[in-house]
Amino acid sequence: MGERGIVLVGLNHRTAPVELRERLAFENGHHEHALRRLMAVDGVAEGAIVSTCNRVEVVACGASPDSLGAALPAYLAREHGVTESTLGAHLYTHVGRDAVRHLFRVAASLDSMVVGEPQILGQMKEQYAAAAAAGASGRVLHRCFHKSFSVAKRVRNETGVAEKAVSIGSAAVELARRIFDRLEDQTALLVGAGTMGELTARQLLSGGVGSVMVTNRTFDRAVEVARHLGGTAVPWERLGRYLPLADLVIGVASGDGFLLGVPVVEAAMRERRRRSIFFIDLAVPRCIDPAVNQLDGVYLYDIDDLEGVVVDNQGARAREAVKAEAIVETEVEAFWRWLGSLDAVPTIVALREKIEAMRRAELERLLASMPDRSPEQSAAIDRLTVSLVNKILHGPLSALKRHQASAEEAFYVEAARRLFRLGVDSPDDEDER
Amino acid sequence: MMIEFTLLRLATFLYLAATIAALASLVARRELPRQIMPGLLLLGLLTHAASIALHSVHAGHLAVTTLAEALSFLALLMVALFLVLQLRRPLLALGAVVSPLAFGMALGADVIYQGARPLPPALQSVWLPVHVGLAILGDAIFALASSASLLYLVQERRLKAHRGGRMLRGLPSLETLDRLNYTLLVWGLVLLTLGIVTGIVWAHSAWGTPWSSDPKLMFSLATWGIYVILLQGRMSAGWRGRWAAQLTIAGFAVIVLSLVGINVLELGNHGTF
Repeated sequence: MGERGIVLVGLNHRTAPVELRERLAFENGHHEHALRRLMAVDGVAEGAIVSTCNRVEVVACGASPDSLGAALPAYLAREHGVTESTLGAHLYTHVGRDAVRHLFRVAASLDSMVVGEPQILGQMKEQYAAAAAAGASGRVLHRCFHKSFSVAKRVRNETGVAEKAVSIGSAAVELARRIFDRLEDQTALLVGAGTMGELTARQLLSGGVGSVMVTNRTFDRAVEVARHLGGTAVPWERLGRYLPLADLVIGVASGDGFLLGVPVVEAAMRERRRRSIFFIDLAVPRCIDPAVNQLDGVYLYDIDDLEGVVVDNQGARAREAVKAEAIVETEVEAFWRWLGSLDAVPTIVALREKIEAMRRAELERLLASMPDRSPEQSAAIDRLTVSLVNKILHGPLSALKRHQASAEEAFYVEAARRLFRLGVDSPDDEDER
Repeated sequence: MMIEFTLLRLATFLYLAATIAALASLVARRELPRQIMPGLLLLGLLTHAASIALHSVHAGHLAVTTLAEALSFLALLMVALFLVLQLRRPLLALGAVVSPLAFGMALGADVIYQGARPLPPALQSVWLPVHVGLAILGDAIFALASSASLLYLVQERRLKAHRGGRMLRGLPSLETLDRLNYTLLVWGLVLLTLGIVTGIVWAHSAWGTPWSSDPKLMFSLATWGIYVILLQGRMSAGWRGRWAAQLTIAGFAVIVLSLVGINVLELGNHGTF
């Protein structure tokens, strides 16, 4: 297996345009055939495919990483009917430790377009399962992928990489969750039908908000936007009448003075029996009187406040990402130590040394208890133990030698290490949950 | 005597450990403190309950007749209620208020601990556990309601001040806290009412006077008044949020004042606790 047995070749949102990524994506449910063809590539002992809308990657293990590094791009090109030169500049190749690190970072969502987004882990689990079901992944990839899942879990639990909102819309959702118990029960009111408002309303809806009303100076436009959002349009003149029905208000329509002042909001709060309203003022100049924030149960955030939250969160994410990278690094090292322990040669040496040490110890004990022995007797006993040890070790050692540099090497090495209890940091199943 | 005191010490220590875990879980990202906090409280609760049970056997009646005993019993019921609440809806952040509160009360009981005392004959009655049990259970519910209110005020202040996601993660939403406050208020008021009624009935059977000018009764009626007004305001006028939270805490302040004040000044029939 050796130092460089794992190779990862692929492209992602940073290296390739979306057209190419689409072209190369492996369709869901068609992995099986693709994996079978991957296994047929010369030198591939284990293989797996990770394909999402932002990345297409092929991971393979084999005895010769150099030939894998050349064979995998050719395989990708062949699979998708493109020329290798088209792929050329967009592909990256990671070998050995770098390949493991890359896989761990992808699983932990550190390599995602939106760092910390949670979908990638689920997609990887599915695609690893497909590789396992097709018999393409073996011991090394099994351990590598499972390790990447537990790294992702650690990063999620121990850092804040995944928990901070980094867009205006997601910051609004995050704040709304601190005010309301169930967003599903809440209604949003979009005041003004500009693009920014529509986008934010959409993010609130996908963040769980139950329904949306839209109002606009020109009613037709309100109807149109309401149709896009799956909400209802309400007449502009009746804004005050509908305000009490809204739990979240997104203001994007500016004009002369404030559209919503303290008296209107106070009246709405009374009618709502002081249930909270969350106002989001995205208009420039602002359309909601900042003084309403003083009212009990009213929370007003303007665009600067929200951006403040986002910047805080981005800073926090960047700090958290440093922690996450440190976790990845530790785990890569641990995995690498395990992989190194799978080499046949050190295992053969260790096995010989261990048994020889046992033989010597026992021999000395025996000879010490026989003070009257003759030198011939001592030599005979010594010969006996040597030949016994050699006979016992013959099978295991020749099996290890025979499978050296083959696909089963890791299996035999690990079996030997476990059966004969070799090495202190023996590869236990600590993380194979 | 010695064993129950040692157990009380142990429970106090466990509440302190729960306090540290609860505060750590609010500011740190590790999952561990969050996971062990309820366990620490449960352990504290069990040792605490054992201490009170032994003490009661020793005294020959439910150990709630001195200030130390009353504080200790209040802490016990509060922690028990908090843990029961966790079964219905996990609000671990509440533990960050409940644990230090329990620690404070248990420590107070620890410091002024004086052992069991014989009861005057007039008070030796089945009314003792009934009246005092109901009253202290009511107090414990108000303690929880106040804890939720305190979290509400913290969360509300942060939202109003437009501070981002820094510090204090995992606080429940305002609506959740407000709703919890309402539910607890209703139950607390029911038990406080029962506590007052049984007190009056007991006073009548013990001394033959249905109404005394006992200061404890005065304080209890004041607390009762505050909570009735608050509940009425919530139900008819839609009081909620900050105002409701502040009133809840004010009502609990009166409870604490009456519990400690009356004992320190040794006033009336409740002068001993």
